[in-house]
Parts: sequence; structure tokens; C-alpha cells
Amino acid sequence: MEAVLNVTFFQELLLSTIRMATPILIVALAELYSERAGQVNIGLDGIMAFGALVGFLTSYITGSPYLGILAGAVGGLLINMVYAFCTITLGAEQIVYGMAINIFAPALASFIYKIYFGISSTLAQATLMKVMPIPFLSKIPVLGPVLFNHTIIVYLTYLLVPFTYLFFTKTKPGLNYRAVGEYPKAAESLGINVVRQKYIASMICGALAGIGGAYLTTCYISTYSDGVVSGRGFIALSAVIFGRWMPGGVLLAALLFGFTDALQLRFQVMSSATPYQLLAMIPYLSTLFVLAFLGIKKAGPKANGKPYFREER
Amino acid sequence: MKEFLRMENMSKKFGEVYANREINLSIMEGEVHTLLGENGAGKSTLMNILTGLYQPTGGSIYLHGKKVKIDSPSKAVKLGIGMVHQHFMLVEALTVFENIILGITKDKSIFIKKDAIKNEILELADRYGLDIEIDKAITEISVGAQQRVEILKALYRGAELLILDEPTAALTDIEVEGLFKIIRKLTAENKSVIFISHKMREVLEISDRITILRTGQTIKTLTKDKTEEAELANLMIGKELVSSEYKKVMKTKENILSLEQVSFNKTSKHNGISEISLNVGKGEILGIAGVDGNGQSQLAQIVTGVIAPDSGNVILNTNKIAKFAPIDFINSNVSHIPEDRNKMGLIGNMSVRENLILKSLNKKRISAGKGLYLKRKAIALYAKEMKEKYDIRCASIDMELRNLSGGNQQKIVLARELEEEPKLLVAVHPTRGLDIGATKYVHDKMIDSRDKGCGILLISADFDEVLKLSDRIAVMFEGQVVGVYSGENPPINEISLAMSGKAK
Repeated sequence: MEAVLNVTFFQELLLSTIRMATPILIVALAELYSERAGQVNIGLDGIMAFGALVGFLTSYITGSPYLGILAGAVGGLLINMVYAFCTITLGAEQIVYGMAINIFAPALASFIYKIYFGISSTLAQATLMKVMPIPFLSKIPVLGPVLFNHTIIVYLTYLLVPFTYLFFTKTKPGLNYRAVGEYPKAAESLGINVVRQKYIASMICGALAGIGGAYLTTCYISTYSDGVVSGRGFIALSAVIFGRWMPGGVLLAALLFGFTDALQLRFQVMSSATPYQLLAMIPYLSTLFVLAFLGIKKAGPKANGKPYFREER
Repeated sequence: MKEFLRMENMSKKFGEVYANREINLSIMEGEVHTLLGENGAGKSTLMNILTGLYQPTGGSIYLHGKKVKIDSPSKAVKLGIGMVHQHFMLVEALTVFENIILGITKDKSIFIKKDAIKNEILELADRYGLDIEIDKAITEISVGAQQRVEILKALYRGAELLILDEPTAALTDIEVEGLFKIIRKLTAENKSVIFISHKMREVLEISDRITILRTGQTIKTLTKDKTEEAELANLMIGKELVSSEYKKVMKTKENILSLEQVSFNKTSKHNGISEISLNVGKGEILGIAGVDGNGQSQLAQIVTGVIAPDSGNVILNTNKIAKFAPIDFINSNVSHIPEDRNKMGLIGNMSVRENLILKSLNKKRISAGKGLYLKRKAIALYAKEMKEKYDIRCASIDMELRNLSGGNQQKIVLARELEEEPKLLVAVHPTRGLDIGATKYVHDKMIDSRDKGCGILLISADFDEVLKLSDRIAVMFEGQVVGVYSGENPPINEISLAMSGKAK
């Protein structure tokens, strides 16, 4: 046991944390963009599953994981338009339609997979995206490989955090965007197109969540199987609450979950006597605990989850 | 004077119901034009059309004589029409500055050029005497200040016509004075103002012309100099309104409610009360005057059992209250007209019938086995009886409550709270948001109950209402009772001073 607790171990652990946190972070940011416009979308898990399949298929057929990521974004965006149309245009309950996506999208993904590959016991393999070490920076001892030896998706995802922060706090479109989630009627009275903004938010959410799903099958593991998402969408959802609807907070939350996930995988390797199901519960349990202790105070956008009708009396 | 805006034959239908029917309205440059009408007369609908929130079913709008189509709020903003809504359209999570610049694309930059825009705003504020604290969060500033932010917001967007919807409803007398000064500055610069209110005194003070709306139609446009209060009131409700003067009761009988040194959240000036001692006699109305948010809500909640005081005694009908729970107060026949009927008084998604029986579910008449089985027919019968008796105007007793007008909703509260002939009635802002007709109805009913021996604690931010109804008047300021006065020939100046914390 002592032998493994050396520098390499921690380096590996941190590297793995960054990698594991990436899909959660990107999907949590997806949700952040959605909720800032008042659209609670609990269908993240479903969108991810669909993105995972579309990404994998594209990568498998074309041989390019980059196209896979792109396809994942388009797929996620399209599937989320079902949710957007029902909740924005028709004013339906957001939770119900988010749940509908969670049921419908993975089933559709599974269906498409079986049509394409038939029912066989061997899993189709696609090429994984290659890491792109950043010159010089990746040569820094210990931290270099941890932070600067990843796929481009990882870099972009982490860069999205400061970008999102700047967008919402320093720019006019960001301010208008937030107003829609806080008080849509006021926003409308100031000439902001609330419906359009909500659609844009849902498109961003769908695309990012789709990328999050595609990341799993193009950068993380090279196959698609049902349940590949395994609740990451819900963890991302809680990361938004834990992160207090701020990009920095969301980053912290994603890193925490990434860390516990990376840790439990190492525990699995180290103590084969412990049933792995118990250890696999750690990230989910930590989510539960964090939410129980920190998720009490509601601090999200005021009009979050409420349907908006312009001519409501 | 030139005409700024004209609306011709404006109509708006919601389903089969006309909210506006062929309304004509003309606004001159530099005038204050008042829209007068009861709730549901169509004022808000008309203004929502003008600001592009609603699309009219028919009619046309002319701006400087040219026909325009206002198909979105941004179009209205572009045409120079700004509105300060009764419920402010301010985003609480943002600062004053951010609220003012929301949705604006004056300069092309994506980023907010804070300093430059700020100077521009402050200059504008200075010009019209709008005193604002630009970097504070909306939640940190007073209602009056929020209103100034709203006005500035409209002006910053280049408003030539400013619509003020019930702007004085939440203001103190001093703040109203300030608002009127601002309005006069606006009209001096040839800007037009549409003023919506049903407070006659104010309407006659500030308006140049007055247009009266009733049941969605234009009744008449009058110039201020050629009219008077009584004429306006009669035109507004469509019949002669006999304004009643209520007799005051002077003899102090035994007390139904006594408070001895009662405190709650003592350190808070706005959300607590500090060592209050008060008595309410049987068959007497004790009015609490004071600017909203000086502990009145907490007082009302203590004497209805919603919250328990930190210290002091509450004596109800000679019994000292040990446990504070609403059910015990209800069982001791205490009735409550809560301050916000939509939050505490009624359930919007339930029917009229259901709302009427909420408090009496255990009664034999309503149910068998203490609420285990509801007697449908008996309830329907009872609801219909109440509908007649309290003149609740609704299509059916199974209608969802939220579709009723404010006045009719309040009548349901009255029916439920007064039908059992309470010993004590706690009425908080009983006529807030109601029109003249409904207000008179509520007042008559309260006086009726008083004459039957019910003690009434009336809490109202409407000073005129307190003066009119109270047999005795207590003034609250920053959680304390700063004076108790007789309701007959009350010393109005002295009370006003006490309300602003300047009592001797």
C-alpha cells in the first residue's frame, strides 16, 4: 500500500481528476447557460446519452473523433429542441419534459446503435482523440503532465469557465441573458426578446451537453454501450446548485466529483477484496452529502423553472 | 399644444371577453393625462397595448399624426413610450446601474463601458431631480428610490411619453410630493405623462386632463378645471356613489384583546416590534396608522397566532395566550383578513366554493366525521348563499379563484372571515388594490361587524382609510407605538408627524 502512495500516484490521481471532471464540467456549464435563462433542464443525462451515441457513430464511420464531437453537439442540440419547443413555446412543465428527454433519448440512442451494429456480443471500437501536449508547459515537472497533457476538448472546457464568467458579468448580452432568468417580464418590457433568448439558452445547453456525452465515447472510452453516461448528467445538475449558479463554483464542484471518481477507481484497483459496487458509490454519495449540506439555500435565478407567457394577465 | 399620441377605436379581446372596446384617447405634448377607472375598467390592458406587450384585436395608434404599429415592447421603446409598472419591473439580483442599462444597445461595444454610461445616467438623473444611488442593489433601496430608478430607466431610453401606473400606491406623502415635482419637471420639458390612479385628491392635483374608463370603454375626457371629485367618482362607477361617514364609537367597553409589552425581533426597525402595549375593545375599531414596514406585519401575525412574540403578554378575551398557533386563534373566533390575499388569504388554483369553506371544514354543516367526508350538496348550497349575501360576482362557484377580480376575491375572504361573527377581526390592508365600489363594500361590512360587537384591529398603509374607520388611532414607527389618538376629530397633523417619526 505504501509503495503506491508516491508522487506518481498523486500525479496519476490528479490527471485522472481533471479528465473525469471534464464531462461533468462541460455539462454543468450547459445547465448553467440553460438555468440563467430560467430553463431548468433535468434532461442532461438523456442528452449526454444521445450525444455519446452520435459522437461514437460519427467517429466510428469517419475515423475522426473531432467530427464525433461536432456531431455530438449537433445531436444534443437537436434532441434538446424537443424540450425547448414544449417548455418555451407550449409553456409545459420543465421538469416533466426534462424527464421525458431522460427516458426518450437513451432509448433512441440504444435503438439506433442496435440497428446499425445489430445484436452482437463484441463492442465496436473507434479511435480515441489524441492528447495534445502544450509545448514547454507540459514539461513542467509534476504539474505539467497533469494540466497540459490533454485533448483539446479538455482545454476548451476549462477555458469556457472564465469565458462564461466574463460573459455573464461584463458584457451587455450577458446582462440581458441573466435578466431573462431573473424577471422575464421586466426583460421583455425593455425590449429583450425573452422567447428567443430562452431558445438560444436551450441550444447552447443541448450542444454543450451533447459534447459532454460525445467526450465519453471519443476521448474517454472508445466504445458505446447503454448506460455509458451512468448518471453524470444528474451529477452535473447538482454541480450547478453546489456551484451557486456561478462558473467558478461549478468548476469547483466538477473537480470535487472528478476527484472522488478518480479516487474510487484507484481504491478498486488497490483493494480487490472490497466489492467494487460499494466503491463506485463514492462519487454519488459525496454528491448527496454536498447537496444535503450546501444545497439548502436557494440562490438560483428567480424565475428559474417558470414558464413564460407574454400575454398572461 | 400639439398632439403626441392618439389611440382610435382600440379593442382587445381575451377569449370572448372584451377588456377594451373601441377606446379613444388622445395625449398632448407636455400634458399630464390621467386615466381613471375601477379595477377591470381596462386601464392596464390599454397600457399594455401601448407598450407592445399585448396585441390589440382592433383599432389604430397614431404618433405625431402618423399611423404606427407597436408589435413588440422594443418597438414601443423606440417610439419613445416608457412605462413604470405598478409592480416594478426591476431585476432584484442586479444593481441600479445594471437595471438601467438592461437591453440597451446605444454603443456598439459588447462590453459594458461602465464609467462613460454611468456619467451619462447621472447627468440625466440630475436634470430631472431623480436622486439615485447607482451602485446599490435593488433590494437595498426603498420603494420610492426604486420608482425613481424606473423613471430614469424610461428616460434613459429616450421616453417622450411616460406611463405611470398607480405610482403613488406604495409611497409616503412626502415621497408623493417628490414624485409630483419630478412629473412637473418632465412636462416642463414637453414630455407627456399618463397617470393612472384612483386617488381623487392626487388626480385633481397633478392632471391637466382626465379620461374616465368604465367596463373597457371610454366614458368621457374632462379638463381638470371643469370637474370635481364627485363628478369623477360618479362617472367612474356609473352611478351615484353615496359616500358614507361612519359614526365613531367612543365608549370604551371591556377589552377583547390586550398586548402588554410585546416584542418580536426587537432590534429590527422594519421587521420587528418593540414593547408594544395596546388594547382593542369589544365593538371598537383600533386603527394602526404608519408607513408600511414599521412592524405592522409582525403585529398582525402575532395577534393571529402565526408567529410567537419573544416577550410580553397577549391576552385574548381575558385568557393569556401561552401557545401561539393559528388554529387556537381560529377556535377562539379570531378572524383575519391577511395583508396579501393571494399569498395568505386564498388559494388561487382552488374553486370559489372550496375557498369559502377552508376554515370550516370540521363543521357539521360542511362535513361528516370532522372533515372526513365533505357534504357536496350542503357545500354548494352554502357557497351559493354566500355568493348572494356577499355579492360575489363569478360565473359559477366552481370557477377557479384566480380568475376573479381583486374585489370579488376580497369578498370571498370577507364571507369566510365574517360569516361566523368573530369576536376579534384583524384586518390588514383590507382594501389594498380594490376600486371605490369594492372598498366601500368592505368598509360597510367592517362597520357592520363592529356594531355587532366585534373588536377590530385595522392595519392599513392608507391613511385616509384609517381616519375614516377608526374609533381610536395608534401610530406605529420603527416597531413602536408612538402615539394613540382619538378617532373623532383626530389631530391629523400630529398623527402625520408621528408617522414620520417626529412625534413629540
